Amino acid sequence: MSPFYYKTAIETLQELRKSGERNPELVVTLGEKLIYEGYTGKLGDEVWSVYEQVFIAALDYRNDALAKTCLERLEKRFPKSPRVKILNGMKLEAEDKLDEALELYDEILKNDDSNIATIKRRIAVFKAKGQDQRAIEALTQYLDAFYNDAETWLELSSLYLNYHLYQQAGFCLEELILLQPQNHLYHLKYAEILYTNDNINNINLALKEFCRVLELFSDLNSLASERLSKVYSLDSKNKVGNSNNELRQIIRDWLNESDKSY
Amino acid sequence: MSHQVLSTLAESQSLYLDPAIRDWVLIPIMIVMVLVGVFRDQITVLLSGGTKKATLKAIRESKVLMRGAALRSYGNHIPPLSFLNRKNYLTNAYKKGDYLKNPASMNQTVNPMTDPQGMEMMMEGMKKNIAMIIPQTIIMGWINFFFSGFVLIKLPFPLTLRFKSMLQRGVETPDMDVTWVSSLSWYFLNLFGLRSIFTLLLGEDNAADGMREMTAMSQMTASPTGQPQDFHKLHLAESENLELTPHSWELNDIEHRLLTRYGKREQQKIIDSTENVIESNEKNAIEAASASSYSEHKGKSRRKSGKH
Repeated sequence: MSPFYYKTAIETLQELRKSGERNPELVVTLGEKLIYEGYTGKLGDEVWSVYEQVFIAALDYRNDALAKTCLERLEKRFPKSPRVKILNGMKLEAEDKLDEALELYDEILKNDDSNIATIKRRIAVFKAKGQDQRAIEALTQYLDAFYNDAETWLELSSLYLNYHLYQQAGFCLEELILLQPQNHLYHLKYAEILYTNDNINNINLALKEFCRVLELFSDLNSLASERLSKVYSLDSKNKVGNSNNELRQIIRDWLNESDKSY
Repeated sequence: MSHQVLSTLAESQSLYLDPAIRDWVLIPIMIVMVLVGVFRDQITVLLSGGTKKATLKAIRESKVLMRGAALRSYGNHIPPLSFLNRKNYLTNAYKKGDYLKNPASMNQTVNPMTDPQGMEMMMEGMKKNIAMIIPQTIIMGWINFFFSGFVLIKLPFPLTLRFKSMLQRGVETPDMDVTWVSSLSWYFLNLFGLRSIFTLLLGEDNAADGMREMTAMSQMTASPTGQPQDFHKLHLAESENLELTPHSWELNDIEHRLLTRYGKREQQKIIDSTENVIESNEKNAIEAASASSYSEHKGKSRRKSGKH
């Protein structure tokens, strides 16, 4: 086994923190070495965020002993911090004491109702309990204030999709497009939702959105072009009269052509 | 004339400064300035006592303005009907004051004295100002009292006469060379020039530097801070802006654009076939939106009849 270089370990942890990537296995192995073999002194003030990171990874990885060490040290240093309280709540969640965790989060929110991390944890508890209705309520309430949180809009849309609420999910995707108009993935998802929600108006819209995806991200083998050619060939069978018919013909021909060339 | 200037120059250059001035005035002033800066930084940390977090309602109140602005700038990327829905919803909400922190206070002008939060903000500003002004006046008084009227150093480079008032404050001699710096001016040079040293000592975000406070103060006189903004007025303005925003859908001629891009269509033909689209763009936004939704409906009914 290669010797342990604490400097590279620290750097790796830093990068993982920055990118937000969830890789509990790696974090736990590195964290165990750092914490149990006494490298924590080398970290300086960074040590607290490393503890937090390792704690969450340890919960993911079911390494209760490591999680306990991290949490104890953090509690000793920051006895009143809401951030540490949230970690406590996460521990309760990991032990499946969801109601206790919920109580804790509610208590934090009573003092500070704009604590984003707590709001999100609370929603996660609702989801874990299977109370999707309450999760959706909490999400809409949160998004009413923090409308520019793209990840949360995505979360809400996927919850709506679970219940086949396509119109609501489409609304979420529209908000996402407003936030990042050049992101072709949002356009693609929006188009797919419209396409699934079968109604001729939506299909027309979906076609336009698929075109938009192709314009923003010109990969002709993508889902978007597949859908386009499918829909257009369907249309020709139904012989639906439309002012855009000529155009459709051209698009269909073009896509067929490019299909063959691949 | 030139002879005279030369002679004064020669005289000033022959000026002899006691080394005790360096040891007991020049360096102590600098050290005191640095120490006071560090002290001031600590005091502001102590006085501010942790950043006060905004409540959810306050965040909501200001974020909704940004939401309106986002809709105005990127609204062209969503379908006309969706844009119209959002526009109606937001303008209504703005007008009714749904997003205000405290909807009851809609029509009253906000008095900072009665609003506890405004009061707190004012106190915060006062505290900061006091932490800045008191040490400065004390040091200036100290320098004026003990060291006024003599020069401390000679700058190693020549300067024009304009700098005389800046560098020789407190020494009223018309003939002395500009490169000599008086004690009071040395204080000012330190006040303005120690910023990088403070960053080195205390890190990026410190309150030791007097200059930043000064600029903050000059801004303060321009617009009275502590005065909370009247969000209802801002909301009304934003609703007006939104109402005036036209909507020209990005995807109106998307098929043509895509085909031109892949060389399946010539530019000229597109202009011909998109004529009606361009025309509708020139019309009022609401008309365009309603027209397109109308045509969609028409298409729908036609399709339905086709199916039957």
